[in-house]
Amino acid sequence: MLAGTAAAQTATARIVAAANTFLSTLDEKQRKSVVFAFDDDKQRVRWSNLPVRMVPRAGLSMGELSGSQRSAALALLSSALSRRGFEKVQQIVDGDEVLKGNEGNNPMFGKDLFYLSILGTPSEKNPWMLQFGGHHLALNITIAGEQGILTPSLTAAQPALYTLNGKTIRPLGQENDKAFALLAALDETQKKQAILNYRVADLVLGPGQDGKTIQPEGLKASAMNDKQRGMLLDVISEWAGIAHDSAAAARMAEIKAGIGETWFAWSGPTTATPGHNGSAYYRIQGPNLVIEYAPQKLGGDPTMHVHTIYRDPTNDYGRKFTAK
Amino acid sequence: MMTRLALISLVCLSFASAHRLDEYLQATTISLQKDRVQAQIRLTPGVAVYSSVMALIDTDRDGAISSEEERGYARRVLDDLSLTVDGDHPKLKLVSTTFPEVGAIKEGLGEIQIDFAADVGGHRFERRLVFENHHQAPIASYLVNCLIPSDPDIRVTRQNRNFGQSVYQLDYLQRGSQSSSTYAAWLAGVGGLMVAWLAIWTTTRACRDRSSLSA
Repeated sequence: MLAGTAAAQTATARIVAAANTFLSTLDEKQRKSVVFAFDDDKQRVRWSNLPVRMVPRAGLSMGELSGSQRSAALALLSSALSRRGFEKVQQIVDGDEVLKGNEGNNPMFGKDLFYLSILGTPSEKNPWMLQFGGHHLALNITIAGEQGILTPSLTAAQPALYTLNGKTIRPLGQENDKAFALLAALDETQKKQAILNYRVADLVLGPGQDGKTIQPEGLKASAMNDKQRGMLLDVISEWAGIAHDSAAAARMAEIKAGIGETWFAWSGPTTATPGHNGSAYYRIQGPNLVIEYAPQKLGGDPTMHVHTIYRDPTNDYGRKFTAK
Repeated sequence: MMTRLALISLVCLSFASAHRLDEYLQATTISLQKDRVQAQIRLTPGVAVYSSVMALIDTDRDGAISSEEERGYARRVLDDLSLTVDGDHPKLKLVSTTFPEVGAIKEGLGEIQIDFAADVGGHRFERRLVFENHHQAPIASYLVNCLIPSDPDIRVTRQNRNFGQSVYQLDYLQRGSQSSSTYAAWLAGVGGLMVAWLAIWTTTRACRDRSSLSA
């Protein structure tokens, strides 16, 4: 949620300006392809972890845009995200390009296959929505005046570790490392509560599971000490912090207010090779939060392929803001 | 020939990275109501197990899934499930089925959805539900969860599963069960009748008294 501050108003104004600039670069046909009615619920839920060839998306793909249009699209996306959030998104997209190369230039993957769409009219007052996604990525950003929410969103990575221009990249490395650090900081009694005695093979509340809230399990944050609760909030910030800074700050304040009622559950190995993602599943669930981190067996090595979901069961797609 | 081989290897590579492969994911969500348990099971066969799953569905082997085959398979799945509530075995009733295109199942993307329900009697405050899924156990990967009850009178107190999530035990508290509501309604009815009888008796007696006075 965005607080009613001048900074938040500035952020919304900035995003609206970037959206209008992007739209001004398009021809009529492109504009028709990218803009949907705000109440188009079919488009709202048209997102997935799967490649676009398997689950077609709508809107305009990056591959369909000219150089200047693509720059304007990325500028729009950047305006709605934090610096780290935008970087993470770029790393997920770059990872898909690496995957394409690793699989013999497989046309099912690659950075051209990420789609942008707008639901409603970009406005500083009325609600509208920005979507960006493709294989392993789905950002659903609802903006309603000074308020905004980035849920539900899906971030994923395959390969979860790769080298690009001589740099080692782990798009979801912090999500992994911070969670392992939190688990290591728990005492034996807390670990016993946090670690589930069963295997979780996949996301429970992934794509298509809107409106569901499952019974929470694991260790309640009220049974953690201040330092551990701080570490839990730090893990959560990896998702909440994808949104631009003022939105992230407001969202984190909301999550912090309910932290005592937030649960942390773990399934799988309790250690990982340093510098690599682990193969353990974890879930964080609070009054207005669901995060799942689920390594995938698909493709062989679960440490190289991970899916995550980020939800606010009380406000997915900004329903709280737009309810009449 | 080379092109064909390249195409096959390309398809295999795609399958390897993006599709479910050698397992049959079966995710169940359970929804508790006072006198009813509703559930949905979502089944996604992986590419490598497509043939064995399809053989169970497409019983006439014509490559398509008829509505009769859909219902038949759904019943077969229900036969492999078990539900007990407070030790009783309520009958699982098929509510609805949704089947994807055969092509999607073949690619490891098709999600079969089966909704079912069971009426549960009894009026216990402390209840225990045990759900078991043994459908296609050798290739299955099970998930089972309970949705947070929308009825404030129902509160989940404990969940237990085996490692593979084929067995799930759920303890919950239920206030104001149907039996107690029925009892309350019966009491209200009896009370109402007594009040009505009292009113008639009082009126009759008053009329009789007035008649006696007039005489």
